[in-house]
Amino acid sequence: MIELASLSTAALHLPAILGEGAHAVTIPSAIASPEFAWAGLILLLPAISAALCGLCAAFGVKSKLPGAITAISLIAAFATTLSLYLKMPADAPRVVHLFDWIDFSWKTGGATWTQFLAPFSLYIDSLTLLWMLFVTGLGSLIAIYATEYMEADTGKGYARFFGSVSIFLFAMGSLVMGGNLILLYLGWEGVGLASYLLIGYYYNRPSAVAAAKKAFIMNRIGDLGLALGVFLIWINYGTLEYDGIFKALAHTADPASGASWSAAMIPYCLMLGAFGKSAQIPLFVWLPDAMEGPTPVSALIHAATMVTAGLYLIARTYPLFALEPHALTVVAIVGCSTAFVAATIGMAQYDIKRVMAYSTVSQLGYMFLGLGVGTTFGAVYHVFTHAFFKALLFLCCGAIMHGMAGQLDLRKMSGLRNVKGFGVISWTFLIGCLCLAGFPFTAGFFSKDSIIAQAFASGNPTFVTLGWLALLTAFLTAYYTFRVWFRVCGGPTKYEPGDEMHGHDDHGHDHGNGHGHGHGHDDHGHGHAAHGNHEWHPHGPRLAINGVLLVICLGAVLAAVPAYMAMRGEANWVETMVQHSSAALPSAEHGHGGEHAHHALSFTGIEDVHKATSVVASTVGILGILIAAYFHLLNRSAADKLRQALLSNSLTRWLPLAMENKWYVDEVYHVVFRFPASVLGHVFHFIDKHVIDGFVVNGGARVPLEVGRLFQPLYNGALQGYAATMAGGIALIAAWVFWIWLHGS
Amino acid sequence: MSARLTLISPEILLFAGSVVVAVLGLARNPAMRRAVPFVTALFLLASIGVTAYVYRSDAVETSGLMLPHLGGYAKALLASIGILLVMLAGPTIDRRLEEAFDAGRASFDPIRVMRGEFFAFFLLSIAGTMLIANAADLIWLFLALELASLPTYVMVAVSRGTRRAQEAAIKYFFLGALSAATFLYGFALLYGATGTLELSKIAEVLASQSAAGGISTLAIVGGVLSVLGIGFKLAAVPMHFYAPDVYEGASSATTAFLGFVPKVAGVIALMVLLAVFGFDGHTVTAGGSTIVMPGLPAPLAAVLWMVAVLTMTLGNIGALLQRNVKRMLAYSSIAQSGYLIIGLLSGPEAGWSAVLFYLIGYGVTNTAMFAVLASLERNGEDVETLDDLAGLRTRHPVLAWMLAASAISLIGMPPLIGFFGKLSLFSAALGAGHTQLVIIAAVNSAISAFYYLQLVAVPMLGQPNARTETVQAVPSAWPRIAAVVCGVGVIVMPIGVSKLVAAAGSSLPEGKIVASTPSAAETAIAKR
Repeated sequence: MIELASLSTAALHLPAILGEGAHAVTIPSAIASPEFAWAGLILLLPAISAALCGLCAAFGVKSKLPGAITAISLIAAFATTLSLYLKMPADAPRVVHLFDWIDFSWKTGGATWTQFLAPFSLYIDSLTLLWMLFVTGLGSLIAIYATEYMEADTGKGYARFFGSVSIFLFAMGSLVMGGNLILLYLGWEGVGLASYLLIGYYYNRPSAVAAAKKAFIMNRIGDLGLALGVFLIWINYGTLEYDGIFKALAHTADPASGASWSAAMIPYCLMLGAFGKSAQIPLFVWLPDAMEGPTPVSALIHAATMVTAGLYLIARTYPLFALEPHALTVVAIVGCSTAFVAATIGMAQYDIKRVMAYSTVSQLGYMFLGLGVGTTFGAVYHVFTHAFFKALLFLCCGAIMHGMAGQLDLRKMSGLRNVKGFGVISWTFLIGCLCLAGFPFTAGFFSKDSIIAQAFASGNPTFVTLGWLALLTAFLTAYYTFRVWFRVCGGPTKYEPGDEMHGHDDHGHDHGNGHGHGHGHDDHGHGHAAHGNHEWHPHGPRLAINGVLLVICLGAVLAAVPAYMAMRGEANWVETMVQHSSAALPSAEHGHGGEHAHHALSFTGIEDVHKATSVVASTVGILGILIAAYFHLLNRSAADKLRQALLSNSLTRWLPLAMENKWYVDEVYHVVFRFPASVLGHVFHFIDKHVIDGFVVNGGARVPLEVGRLFQPLYNGALQGYAATMAGGIALIAAWVFWIWLHGS
Repeated sequence: MSARLTLISPEILLFAGSVVVAVLGLARNPAMRRAVPFVTALFLLASIGVTAYVYRSDAVETSGLMLPHLGGYAKALLASIGILLVMLAGPTIDRRLEEAFDAGRASFDPIRVMRGEFFAFFLLSIAGTMLIANAADLIWLFLALELASLPTYVMVAVSRGTRRAQEAAIKYFFLGALSAATFLYGFALLYGATGTLELSKIAEVLASQSAAGGISTLAIVGGVLSVLGIGFKLAAVPMHFYAPDVYEGASSATTAFLGFVPKVAGVIALMVLLAVFGFDGHTVTAGGSTIVMPGLPAPLAAVLWMVAVLTMTLGNIGALLQRNVKRMLAYSSIAQSGYLIIGLLSGPEAGWSAVLFYLIGYGVTNTAMFAVLASLERNGEDVETLDDLAGLRTRHPVLAWMLAASAISLIGMPPLIGFFGKLSLFSAALGAGHTQLVIIAAVNSAISAFYYLQLVAVPMLGQPNARTETVQAVPSAWPRIAAVVCGVGVIVMPIGVSKLVAAAGSSLPEGKIVASTPSAAETAIAKR
């Protein structure tokens, strides 16, 4: 017990203890496993599918073939992942070398050779498998959903859409499964490209194009950080292979003292990359705008998978972060602030997809908080549960939008649970909301709870403060989540259709400006609204959408099972997975194995913290739901009255305004970055036009041209001239050589 | 000796092929004449197979060559690119004449048909280039170089029926003779300085001279003249003057050939020649004692340095002025030779393998560009100026994309093959301590972007005009197929980049060089 007790204290100040004894991190060295070469299929199948979709687009296929190809190949990739998970021994990470990709050697100083090696190899440990399971699993489900959702675009953008989705899955696979940081970078840029293509899918809509550009540029800033981090890792450790980096770290005896500034900068650079991709402060503003893309894309890329790439990066290179004492604290602070700020914005949005987008930003903040306070398990578990319930929520939003002709404003829809065809949506939506709100005994509750509990249990005053903030955020989350559900699905049935800018409704082209005249009211679920000479009624989804909703809903519910197993004293499946990966914490690796250490913690007071946190978190969650119920179900006018009251008081009016206007972050960025950049751009343009082009190009860079003209007479086409010039050239060069030779070079 | 005979079996095969093709081209039956390009490609394909077989046997080690494995790589490369070049040239040679025969406007006349001759010379030139890799003495080297050169003069002359082609051929021939005289003079001086014609014996004598205080002036002068003379094959300064006129005068398909095969000939000849002088840290066994070479003689290194700088700079600057795409590509090919010479200067371990690797990418890219040009015609004439290509994307999107991909690859943009070529060349040069050269080369790459990007921008973004309306695809699909194969290769080859680098590396002494092995520098140049 003494040893166990010391373990628990070791767990209290995690970054510090990691700094002192990083040699405690023992990641088993990888075993080369060529027998698992078939794991490459997980990457190959989406790549083939992307190529086929490209061909379909080139040949103008007018059927749903691209959707079928993508869905089948993704399901096959999921099956491959599943069998890989079943067959892979958990003892040590496996490296599967597929083929040599880049291999260069050059001399550095005298006779030593330096080799730059980036083989196309896979690094497979339980973290990889966990990620790939939900990436390919959700990917295939969402592809099935999209076959129905995107049907209005059949023969137009259909192949382009599914081609981009396939590129995304290939890139995500390379990001997660790649055995070195080059492949991770390849995948990182690949998912960025896919995201750009899909956000800008409706490319004739200016807002979509602007959102795509915004996402791309914001991500570039983060990618710069990642690239610098990769360069620094190469400089400091001489390898980009995960296995090599971990081995090099194990040989670093006392990292705290001997670390150069460049080694110390690594986690901060990687962090910037992670914050860009995972939409954290200060780079979070692109994600809500990314909702301009088709909803299945929002569900897959901008909620469940791609935005967790930043988490994956940090979890994968956790030993590097553990070396630098303040790095994890920064991650925790940024994560928690993002969670809070995004939640406050989410409270005041009327577009249900935007609420979900801000909630994604907020939940990602929780995950970073988890990584920062030292519970990689909590963070990864929250990634896992969030992937399911957030995908579910987005798909529900998408189904509503699909059926309601693009309507997303929660003030214009109500009581959808009673509308024919929207039953499955409403109730699965409710389950998703319960998970997101952290309602007791749902998956989201357990995962969020484990993060908040660790913040309190750490004993670090900073982390405890962050823990309180996280609790407050949990309250806000419950409120804004149920604000949406009570508004949209609860209350009297009443709705008006959207203006169908998304073009996937059969009646879409008939509406004209549906915002203006659309108003349906019918207790029997047959909304009637006159639109020109047509009657409009919402149409519920068919099998592909409803089936996928039910399956993902089941997944969201079952995601809680690992936590129940832990309550019964068995190993939490996710925790076992995390502890067998590079994201394992040193305390758990002291010979007992992950589960043992977890139990050790249970005996030494952390259990009490857990219990207390659980009780408090459930309370604030239920409180949030109740308040939402009052304002948005029972007494809807009260919400408006409250808003008016706040606005009329000059002391409090900033609150609703700031929240509704997203804390003016976009405006601040506009003033601080975009406006100066734009001014600078105009200045540069002026300089470019009148100084560079006018002077340097037409003057300075004209030198090559003039030099060229100088020599032009030599190219006069006369044979004798050429021969004379050649002979003269030889003579000149020979003379020059002998001149320097004689004068001693 | 029999070992060396075994090694030249691919060349013997191609000689046989050239005879077959020459006779076939005179057949009365038009189907047989049409078969000429296919038979040519077949012989090239067979020579790849023979090369692969022969260079796996013991003959390689017992051949007594200084660079025994070089031939295997060079021959496979030449024959593979050769097949692509046949796809370009096949439909263009004699096209008018054959059409006239078919239409009954002319009756068959064996004097007037050129296709058989063209492809016979095509095969002979490739065979000559292959033979250079097998040279064990100066006579062989000279004859092989001439065998590689002489057929190309005829090819230029018959490539199209205009007087410009004949003018270009005459210029090419006389200037080629000048260069041959130059390097022959160099060879003679080398013989005078060492008293032997055998390359490995020359290496021994030079090593003993070097150990005894320094290589004799005569040998160095011989070396300098040989390098400058062989520079003609590479279109290196000051022997580059012919390139723009000849490239412009010959048909696009022939220009593609001139842009690649003579360049490979020059590179291999320079490797064979420079190996004699020895690089830093190489050992040569002479008279029972092992001599560690101090490196290339300073004047020779200085000449290569100067030639590299001048070649890439004058090439890129010259290209800036051109509106004629073929002239632009001629200057671009001059500039590319400058990069290759940097690699040659950087030593056999990293530099030469980088050069050989670069040649793959360059060969494919060069063929892709000229294949695009060869796929188009305007009023029955070759498409030549940038204006002809304006807005190509709207009419021939695939060709425009292939042209863009190869131009971007030549700039050296990742992830295309050209990037990896330049990366390996420049890192080899840095490793050999030629930092200044790399900086100059990087500046040159930036300058070159100016005109390469025109080849992207004009076809992609340019507006089609009345002139481009008359530009159309040639009837035969083969040039287009070659363009697509090469263009896709430019994009796809980076996936297998390490295999290609390894293949290039293993064709040089000591095989592939592995990281952080100090002894790797002590690459011994094998003595017989």
